[in-house]
Amino acid sequence: MTNEHTIKSYDAELARLTAEIVRMGELAASQLEAAIDVVERRDGRAAQRIVDNDDAIDALEHETSHDVVRLLALRAPMARDLREVFAALRIAADIERIGDYAANVAKRSIPLSMTAPVAPARGLRRLSELAVVAVRKVLSAYDSRDARKAHEVWEEDVHLDEAYTGLFRELLTYMMEDPRSITACTHLLFMAKNIERIGDHATNIAENVWYAVNGEPLQAPRKKGDVTADPVMPKLGG
Amino acid sequence: MSALVYRRRFAKNIVAQLLASAAALLALIFLGWILWVTVSRGVQAIGVPLFTKITAYADQGGLANAIVGSFIIDMMAIALCAPIGVLAGAYLAEYARGTRLGETIRFLNDILLSAPSIVIGLFVYVIVVLPMTAATDGAVTFSALAGSIALALIGLPVIVRTTDEMLQLVPSTLREAALSLGIPQWKLTVQVLMRAAGSGILTGVLLALARLAGETAPLLFTAFGNNYMTFGPLSKMASLPAAIYQYTNDPNPALHAIAWAGALLITLFVLALSLLARAVFARRKTSHD
Amino acid sequence: MTELSTAAQSVSPQVGAKIAVRDLDFHYADFHAVKNIHMDIPERKVTAIIGPSGCGKSTLLRVFNRIYAIYPKQRADGQVLLDGENILDSDYSLNRLRSKVGMVFQKPVPFPMTIFENVAYGIRHHENLSRAQMDERVEQALRAAALWDEVKDKLKRSALGLSGGQQQRLCIARGIALKPEVLLLDEPTSALDPIATGRIEQLIEELKRDYTIVIVTHNMQQAARVSDETAFMYMGELIEFGDTEKIFTKPDKKQTEDYITGRFG
Repeated sequence: MTNEHTIKSYDAELARLTAEIVRMGELAASQLEAAIDVVERRDGRAAQRIVDNDDAIDALEHETSHDVVRLLALRAPMARDLREVFAALRIAADIERIGDYAANVAKRSIPLSMTAPVAPARGLRRLSELAVVAVRKVLSAYDSRDARKAHEVWEEDVHLDEAYTGLFRELLTYMMEDPRSITACTHLLFMAKNIERIGDHATNIAENVWYAVNGEPLQAPRKKGDVTADPVMPKLGG
Repeated sequence: MSALVYRRRFAKNIVAQLLASAAALLALIFLGWILWVTVSRGVQAIGVPLFTKITAYADQGGLANAIVGSFIIDMMAIALCAPIGVLAGAYLAEYARGTRLGETIRFLNDILLSAPSIVIGLFVYVIVVLPMTAATDGAVTFSALAGSIALALIGLPVIVRTTDEMLQLVPSTLREAALSLGIPQWKLTVQVLMRAAGSGILTGVLLALARLAGETAPLLFTAFGNNYMTFGPLSKMASLPAAIYQYTNDPNPALHAIAWAGALLITLFVLALSLLARAVFARRKTSHD
Repeated sequence: MTELSTAAQSVSPQVGAKIAVRDLDFHYADFHAVKNIHMDIPERKVTAIIGPSGCGKSTLLRVFNRIYAIYPKQRADGQVLLDGENILDSDYSLNRLRSKVGMVFQKPVPFPMTIFENVAYGIRHHENLSRAQMDERVEQALRAAALWDEVKDKLKRSALGLSGGQQQRLCIARGIALKPEVLLLDEPTSALDPIATGRIEQLIEELKRDYTIVIVTHNMQQAARVSDETAFMYMGELIEFGDTEKIFTKPDKKQTEDYITGRFG
């Protein structure tokens, strides 16, 4: 946004919308960090707090939707403003999902903490660190309307997918080796899937930032790192 | 500080208001005075004989021939100047807009508007009365027709001016709307614009009639006057202004009273015309947008 | 070879273009109001021209039926091809042009006549119809302008008694009664309330089946609602011209975007 609207309060409202979303994103990112923390600390009480915290993100999402509707109704945004508002609505929805996934991870950490510790739990941290970086980076790209940065996030998702595939294999191997670890590993598997989904939402946000800035969808075949769903999975332990 | 400013403004306002009111009052006083004098002096001579007897009976008579004469002369004058004036006004407003010729004609018309009426009377005497006398070997000298021509010259610039202005007041979008339908200019002018400006133009004609009905000077050298009832346009003809002029020059006070009555008639006629013109113009305003 | 063929391509109108404007310049005496305009207005579509006051959008519209020619000192140079024929050519008869290109103005300007006569007046100048034929034509035009039901019982009454919105629809009826091919609308709803505006917009949507419509408007929402193509003009120049959806979601030029989003200056 290089120059201002003739009506100054319009600028203020758009800026408020951006600020709301960035705050909401930051909240979601710290929820995820906290969730991984409780997985490692095996702290059921802290996990419950994280689950309860998700309501704050949901409330922010409501607020954002409300602001978007008001902007649409009262300002009738056009062209770039329209794309901004539209993107804001969708980004808010993505962040809300990210918050949900973070809460899911925390929720699963409670039954997980009741099983015997398994080694691959450490792999989960690497995965979640990648996801947190992706979320933070895409939020900063959104805040500065930096389409290039957003595109980087979009491309970097492949690393997250690869990490997920790696963890997936590792967990399968574990379960085969020691059937007693199946309960824990299944929980971990779902958590990993949740975190992988967070990465997908980060790429969605990146796409919306790209659209808001450039006015066209970000479309180019994306490298897929997650091959676990392919019909023929690479051989295990090979 | 600001209180002082306000008080000063207030004082200035009062002074300006007083001066303006005084000026308006002065004008109204004279108007009222003229009306009062005309009515008070003329009313005693008003009666049936005024309208039935002719001026030949002098103080025993009335103004019947002058009333009829005035009516004939004024109507002929309006019949002469109204069509020419309306067409000329239409030319100025529609065809000569922004051209140098148009501006020149408008300027000359304004001069004619303020030309002294005695000059017009003399002019018509020279270009109508004298040639007619020569052409008919003196059979026709002064005539009602010549009087009408002189009065028409008085009324003409009024009609040209009002028609021009009324047509110019018609929004240009109306012209554009008609032209964009392919309507040619002459049809547009006659069928659309004249209709739109119709009551304004009619007002102009009525005002011109009011103006020329009161004129004396142009009639003295043209229609001359007549103590008998005449109807022919080529004969000398009596008229109210000329009769008033003649009677006021007479020492007989009874004739003065009749002259005042005549003046009252003209005043009432002009007043009625003005009111009619206002009514016509007011109707235009309510019917338009 | 390629250079020659591309040059030829840009001069010949696009397929489907009803009006092709080529190198059009317009002067009000010394003021250069419209500068080197080049655009193809598609047939049976609604083309909106937007831009700030004084950008030349109304001037451009007024070239399309040469209505500017009634004022001295106004001059258009270049070409405006209507079905391939240059209407700026002095050989192109005004009568023919104005029977093909109708115009509706900002303020409704009914003639000081009856409702019936308002519609019949223009037809009478171009065609000789019997009484019954004329009645039918007038009814047709009033129906097409969505006014028939409101006025059918008072055709003999003065058109000046109608409401503003009705008057404007009467003006549209008057225009389409001549069966033109192109309808020029110069801010047709700027003097109307939202309901009357809505009726006119609905009417525009219906009329585009039969007519090529060019509308000048200050109201961007209106341009977005009714038009298929939008042209943005600024300081006499055509800045951008294209698909309405594109102009309002992702214009190519920054000036267009600034104007549309209300960031002008």
